[in-house]
Amino acid sequence: MSPRFSPSRLAFLVCLLVAIAGGAVGLVGLFADRAVAGETLIAGSVCEAHELRALQAEDPSLQIQIPPEFDSPWPSREACQSHAAAEDESTPGPVQPIQFSHKHHAGLYQIDCQYCHSGTDRSPSAGVPSVGVCMGCHKQFPASYDEFAGIRTLKEHAAAETPIEWLQIYRLPEYVQFQHQAHVRKGIACQSCHGPVESMDKVIVTPDTKWWPWLLPTQKLEMGWCIQCHRANGASQDCVTCHY
Amino acid sequence: MAELDRRDFLKLVGVSAGGAAAAGCSDHVEKLIPYVVQPEEITPGVAVVYASTCLECPAGCGLHVRTRESRPIKLEGNPEHPVNRGALCARGQAAIGRSYHPDRYTGPRLRGAGGALEPISWEQATALLAEKLGAAAGRVRAISGAIGPTLGSLFDRFLAAQGSSGGRLYYESFGFEALREASRAVFGVGARPIFDLEGADFVIDFGADPLESWLSPVEHARQIEATREVTAQAGRDARLVYVGPRLSLTAGNADEWLPAKPGSEGVLALGIARVALRAVRAAGRPVGGDPALLEGILAGFDAESVASRTGVPAETIERIGRAFAQAKRPAALPPGVALTSRRATATTAAVLILDAVVGAIGQTVLLPAEASATPEPASFRDVLKLIDAMKSGDVAVLLLHGGNPVYSLPPGAGFVEALDRVGFVVSFASLPDETSEKAHLILPDNTPLESWGDLAPRPGVRSLVQPTLRPLYDTQALGDTLLQVGRAQGDSVAAQLPAGSFRTVLEAAWAGTDFRAALGRGGVFETTPRGGAVSVAASAARIDFKEPQFEDGGPYLVVPVPSALLYDGRGANLSWLQETPDPVTKVAWQSWAEISHEAAKALGVGHGDVLAVETGFGRVEVPAFPRGGIRDDVIAIAIGQGHQVGLYASHAAEGRAGEARGVNVISLLPPLTDETGGRAWLTARATVSATGKHARMAQLQHTDNQRGRQLAEAVTLASLTHGEDAAHGGHASHEIRRPYDPVNDSTPESPYRWGMAIDLDRCTGCSACMVACSIENNVPQVGEDLVLRGRSMSWLRIERYVGAGEPEWGTGRKRPEDHEKLGLVDVRNLPMLCQQCGAAPCEPVCPVLATYHTPEGLNGMIYNRCIGTRYCSNNCPYKVRRFNYFDYQIESWPEPMRLMLNPDVSVRGQGVMEKCTFCVQRIETARQGAKNAGSQIADGAVTPACVQTCPTHAIEFGNLKDPKSAVSRRAEENGARAYHALHMLNTRPGISYLAKVNRGDEPEGGGHV
Repeated sequence: MSPRFSPSRLAFLVCLLVAIAGGAVGLVGLFADRAVAGETLIAGSVCEAHELRALQAEDPSLQIQIPPEFDSPWPSREACQSHAAAEDESTPGPVQPIQFSHKHHAGLYQIDCQYCHSGTDRSPSAGVPSVGVCMGCHKQFPASYDEFAGIRTLKEHAAAETPIEWLQIYRLPEYVQFQHQAHVRKGIACQSCHGPVESMDKVIVTPDTKWWPWLLPTQKLEMGWCIQCHRANGASQDCVTCHY
Repeated sequence: MAELDRRDFLKLVGVSAGGAAAAGCSDHVEKLIPYVVQPEEITPGVAVVYASTCLECPAGCGLHVRTRESRPIKLEGNPEHPVNRGALCARGQAAIGRSYHPDRYTGPRLRGAGGALEPISWEQATALLAEKLGAAAGRVRAISGAIGPTLGSLFDRFLAAQGSSGGRLYYESFGFEALREASRAVFGVGARPIFDLEGADFVIDFGADPLESWLSPVEHARQIEATREVTAQAGRDARLVYVGPRLSLTAGNADEWLPAKPGSEGVLALGIARVALRAVRAAGRPVGGDPALLEGILAGFDAESVASRTGVPAETIERIGRAFAQAKRPAALPPGVALTSRRATATTAAVLILDAVVGAIGQTVLLPAEASATPEPASFRDVLKLIDAMKSGDVAVLLLHGGNPVYSLPPGAGFVEALDRVGFVVSFASLPDETSEKAHLILPDNTPLESWGDLAPRPGVRSLVQPTLRPLYDTQALGDTLLQVGRAQGDSVAAQLPAGSFRTVLEAAWAGTDFRAALGRGGVFETTPRGGAVSVAASAARIDFKEPQFEDGGPYLVVPVPSALLYDGRGANLSWLQETPDPVTKVAWQSWAEISHEAAKALGVGHGDVLAVETGFGRVEVPAFPRGGIRDDVIAIAIGQGHQVGLYASHAAEGRAGEARGVNVISLLPPLTDETGGRAWLTARATVSATGKHARMAQLQHTDNQRGRQLAEAVTLASLTHGEDAAHGGHASHEIRRPYDPVNDSTPESPYRWGMAIDLDRCTGCSACMVACSIENNVPQVGEDLVLRGRSMSWLRIERYVGAGEPEWGTGRKRPEDHEKLGLVDVRNLPMLCQQCGAAPCEPVCPVLATYHTPEGLNGMIYNRCIGTRYCSNNCPYKVRRFNYFDYQIESWPEPMRLMLNPDVSVRGQGVMEKCTFCVQRIETARQGAKNAGSQIADGAVTPACVQTCPTHAIEFGNLKDPKSAVSRRAEENGARAYHALHMLNTRPGISYLAKVNRGDEPEGGGHV
């Protein structure tokens, strides 16, 4: 990975603006769809049932029908929305092999980051949870969750004993030896570097809004970004702390 | 598409615009692949260590295999193991490369009609072998290397089930058969003696190489050097005398070198024994046998006649004999491979008689009871018998595992011709070698790091081998292959074999021990039995001690030297062992022939001129290496080179596949045995002539003359005592140590100033540290061509100097004269690595601050900052910086070797300077551990790779700011011989060298000591 220069920050902003604008155009299309309603709407899944109930609450005249197999509180409406958002290609960030939502797990259910990223306080690397960790909870969930493509993929991996190949979002160059444990044990919140992951369905590298030296966000994962914080907190600025 | 309406169109446009924008912003994406089920003991990013056993040679050193995410990245010695106690030799360090070797067989192979190897499935291969074995009707034989008792007995059961009459031959080219036979002749005990040199204050080495390749080199090196610790009076009194025709690594570490006539070692031993016998009896102490019997044996060996037969002066024999008799724990070591003549048993017997006379038996020389003895290699006579059986067509199926007999047997033995008469040859090699290239079927075994197994190097030590790597390729453990083939042969064979897999066989063999605990420790270790009381038996009187005859063929006796790095040639395919220069001549990747300066003059050749060496059995052409430290009547060539097969063993890596790298000295030797059937090596005389050709030598050091630069210093015992009396540093060259305070080299706030103390009196020059450093730090191996151009990348080297040399300022560019000469042992081995100078010349010249002084006193080297001006290297007086002229990035490491790269160390890119930083990755790991525990880094918590592997603990590392740290104490206790290399430059290094102590007479070579 080559070091980035400030032109790339500009490019990032431009890209972001284009993405937002594009998404907005898409949304207009979605709202346009709503107008076509008149007959009885039949739910085809638990998630659709949630949505139909919500529509009906807005517009009591709406005729809806929910077959008994889809009349279940689980998966929850939030889970449905998060799953949909995680597979939405129109939002920034790559779509992961499983439509996993940090917002749902870490945000809504407040599962501690270290429950899954368990090496964070004793290893240089945070670690990505194994299929076993995912299944530890998910194998106890009702079968209705299988309507999620992500859950089905997870179970396929568990059955076939194959690992999930996640796409890496935060990647440091190989000449940087970053120590998660040092930061986590000092009580540095995960969000200080990774952003509000607990509010993201799809994890992306968000701009660091804390530091705006030239009216542009500091590029994350650049050395200047690390050093700003190290300087502010009196942490080591010795080169061999991270480079060897 | 036809029904695409406006709304859908808008949606589509929006999605693709957003998608395109998002895609345009992303860089190259890597994947994160976690476990399916993460094993409990594994935390990604943290190394996990497993105990295992090194299978490179029969010594059986214990290993700690450091793994990251289930992949071994480094081998270290197991500190709990009684053989090596945490250290490893260069070969043990490099052994990890076998698993990641680009040459590996990736699955079973069958030789097709055209002679090429073709892939075959395991099912087909198993069925094919079962069929061939069935058709062989008992005419099945096997040759194996050291495979351990459990696999060995399974192999034997398998062969018994086939009805094989001869069974398996345990073949080691360095079998040391004479040890067992001599012990039988002298004491009536047919067991190989164990040499325990712990505390041995007087060792006479009659040509064994206990610091290089003899029996258990890591253990012997530790014992010898620990005994010689100079801070204790006992260590100052300790003496090591070496007898042999050339200044070997061991000779260079001795206090006295007697270049006796080769072959006369036994006579010399008896001459010394005769003097010692008189002295022991005069002192009223018991001798190890009937005095009259011993007097009778030794009658003809008075000092004068022995002097004329050996070339060692009578006074020397008398002096050594008397001193040896007075020693508290004397030990005499019989000849090693190089001096194993046709009378090796008699020679070894003579040395054992000397041991008996001075009471060493039961003290330093232990004779285990015959029954408890571990399996020993077959004698060479049995090997020749097997070859005869093969020639006469009595072997239909031959199973081969290890030993590489095609390479390591003399051509005259006719093994290759005999192999052609064998109907079906099966090799279990995991790496191709000359022997597997002749096989019809290859059923690749897992490498030792992928295998279960065990080894019993000596009574009382049972060591376990456990897999730490899932087989990288479609290979199968030998034990499992045998079991499956047996089962494929039908119930009659299968019934004679154990059930289950080899792992269950192993666990059954270890029943009665706590297997899990043994896995954690590395094995079951009990004290080695001291052996019963034995005395010289009457049969000893019947031994004929006269000197051996040599096959006539010319004026020069061929001395085949076992290589400290390549051993019998098995190390030749490991690039680290090729690139690490020979510890004595400093030649890498090549063969050379050592001859004396006199001989070179007589032949009219100089350094690198190619000689033709011809015996009645073979001819080789090899560059001459004239030196002072060798007798005029011998030509010494190291064993180990001359392979035609193997990426690094041959010239295949340079695109010349099939071309031999160097020469194989074994091809000059006849297939002869000693009196009792052991293999004889010192057998042939040769004619030597100049060919008129010249070869450039890939040498890392070109002279042993340090030109008075005070790099490697030595003090005499007398001046050491004097210097200590003068309250530290009465010696001029050491003055720099006093005013230098390491505190100035780290920031005042820092609690650490990292430093080393390197004891030249303990450094044997074995070069294990070089290999350990390269593997720990992902240092590339550049190959012969680039070594020739001076572009070796090694961060650590061992410089070898003889004497102090003389300053030659202003004498032009003439090559300084070497100082080696017969009998001179003032050899100084100097490990040279980055000195982490307090006033470093490299730092101020870097235009980009890529090298700078860290708060803890290191010369940090920031690879990603370096722009490659090379100013730092030009300004470094120690020449320890290495520049990446070529691309050694991860992608350029051959598959699958990149899998063993240490993830904690950056792989440097092209155009970047690199160097030693005291394994700063280990310092940082220890710092994290200390931080997590809320403490400071404890003394001993950081062990750089070189320190960790050193068999003699010559290097101490630690915090110089802590006066109680081991490194501070070592430098302080040895203050009278501590100095800094090139102190006159005032670079204030972080490394204190402790001068070598010359225990003999005043060192020769003049100059300043």
